[in-house]
Amino acid sequence: MCKNLAELGKGESGEVIGFDSGHMASRRFQSMGIRPGKIISRVSSQLMGGPVTVSVDGRQTAMGRGMAAKVKVKVLNQ
Amino acid sequence: MRILLMGSPNVGKSAIFSRLTGTHVVASNYPGTTVEFTRGHLKMGEETAELIDVPGAYTLEPTNRAEEVAVEMVDEGDVIVNVVDATNLERNLYLTLQLLQTGKPMVVALNMWDEALEHGINIDAEDLEKHLGVPVIPTCAISGEGVKSLTDRLEEADQGDLKVVSEDIWQRIGEIIEDVQHIEYRHPTFRQVLSHATVHPLIGPFIAMLVLFLSFFFVIHTGEWLIGNVMEPAFELAWEPVTVWISAALGGEGFIHGVLIGDLIEGEIDMENSFGLLTTGLFIPIAVILPFIFCFYFILSLLEDIGYLPRLGVLIDTLMHRMGLHGLSIVPMMLGLGCNVPGAMAGRILETRKERFIALTLVSICVPCMAQIAMVAGLLGDAGITGLAVVFMTLLILWVALGVSMKYFLKGETPEILVDIPPYRLPYWKSLVKKVYMRMKGFVREALPYVLLGVFLVQLLYTLGIIALLDRAFTPVVQTLFGLPGTAVGPLIVGFLRKDVAVGMLAPLGLNTRQLIVASVILVIYFPCAATFVVLFKELGIRDLLKASGVMIVVVTVVGTGLNALLRIAGL
Repeated sequence: MCKNLAELGKGESGEVIGFDSGHMASRRFQSMGIRPGKIISRVSSQLMGGPVTVSVDGRQTAMGRGMAAKVKVKVLNQ
Repeated sequence: MRILLMGSPNVGKSAIFSRLTGTHVVASNYPGTTVEFTRGHLKMGEETAELIDVPGAYTLEPTNRAEEVAVEMVDEGDVIVNVVDATNLERNLYLTLQLLQTGKPMVVALNMWDEALEHGINIDAEDLEKHLGVPVIPTCAISGEGVKSLTDRLEEADQGDLKVVSEDIWQRIGEIIEDVQHIEYRHPTFRQVLSHATVHPLIGPFIAMLVLFLSFFFVIHTGEWLIGNVMEPAFELAWEPVTVWISAALGGEGFIHGVLIGDLIEGEIDMENSFGLLTTGLFIPIAVILPFIFCFYFILSLLEDIGYLPRLGVLIDTLMHRMGLHGLSIVPMMLGLGCNVPGAMAGRILETRKERFIALTLVSICVPCMAQIAMVAGLLGDAGITGLAVVFMTLLILWVALGVSMKYFLKGETPEILVDIPPYRLPYWKSLVKKVYMRMKGFVREALPYVLLGVFLVQLLYTLGIIALLDRAFTPVVQTLFGLPGTAVGPLIVGFLRKDVAVGMLAPLGLNTRQLIVASVILVIYFPCAATFVVLFKELGIRDLLKASGVMIVVVTVVGTGLNALLRIAGL
């Protein structure tokens, strides 16, 4: 099942399959270690549409909800 | 020869820099500390090379001003020392591979090596060296391990033979990582559990409020304790006799006596109120402000080194977006509490012009610096906590209200937050002490001359009768609007130069609590001190500076008048 990162449930993880964004934004994602093939999981998200904290390779990154919506992931079965 | 120290934010570049040069540089555990580059010198055998600490950048495609500076500087270097975070190798290699494409001779410092091992991350440095074609040296900048071999191997700096087009960089990195890095699974440590809790949507804000409250409590109380039990007695014992002697030698009056010692109050020297260069001029910055500066920077440096600030940025992001900013703007605000100058400079980590304008205007209008807080605390402290609370609540409400209105009126975009959350690290005490010491030294060096100049100016303006003249001219305005006596005009004028001196001048005026509160708030808002003003000009340009000044004038009139009226109604 495909979702975007903002829709990923708490504790759920998925494999990054691509970006729904322009060239610059994809580059920024990639420079933070978020790129196709990576396993990503959601650590937490702040209330009222606040930023989402995700974890890739044991390293945490926080990003705005709108940005998270641009990262497409394939949900992994637990 | 010019050596560039380059790497992503928060990889320990500044720590490596101070290890290599012996120069003291402020290094922190959150992205974007080095907004202005630092130079130092490094001995290489017979030769002395120039070492430049370049602002952190994730890529050579800049997204903010700090990164732009980094990219512009690449051309100017002869050799690059690329500092890489071993706990985060994969992300860091992106910049490494981009740097290799520039054809500059390079060495790689694989920093935080010890921490990587602790996390079960094993990296084969020799193998990585083969892949990159440049020397790779494991280092631990905090303890100094590996720094010697880094210096020794600088001569072997090489252009490397890894050529790759940008579309293939990530694939290439994947292959390298596969080959050189091996990760053993470790159970989540206490630090990781804590890390989760501090960004938890419900527990996180609770912890944040607790942390901020305790920090504030610590700074105010420890600061006052230090003043009353250490600094004041020390001054009384060691310095006051000297000033008494000088005063007697000068005959107790005259212009020179006025400048050096100031006015005798009931025939005696009063360190706080005499207003001479050798009395109040030294007493205010050293005995009253320095203890607060020490406590504040101790706490701030501790929070930085532990890695708490990016998390605070995440928690406050939603609120900051209502103000046209994103969460990381908390960094310039926090730094501004120490001194508005570094606060305004830290605005460079923000991406758009709109954000920088809002952040810098808020810092200069609503954020009192520690020197000012120290003086206000001394002034209002006697009347209990209420006065202080009213001042800070007013500023806090104004901070939010002004941010919200600027967001509404200003065109432009506010990008979303995207920030690396570094793992919590135990502070390394030695570097923490050094950092606090450097920041205190910075305060003494930057602020003391201004304070002395301010005190001198006060004596001069009074002697020449200029203050009396201005008193008469402005009395109707300050009296009608703010309910202050004409004598408060003097402090307002000196406030252009130094806010702490200005607050100090309020003490002998015999103001009541309402007037003290209004005067303190007005002094915070109405105009940044001279040093901050210069930085605002540099960072914003003349047009935006004029705009910000316009906002200040409107805000100070509205808030001063309103607060005065409200406090009257409240019966103060």
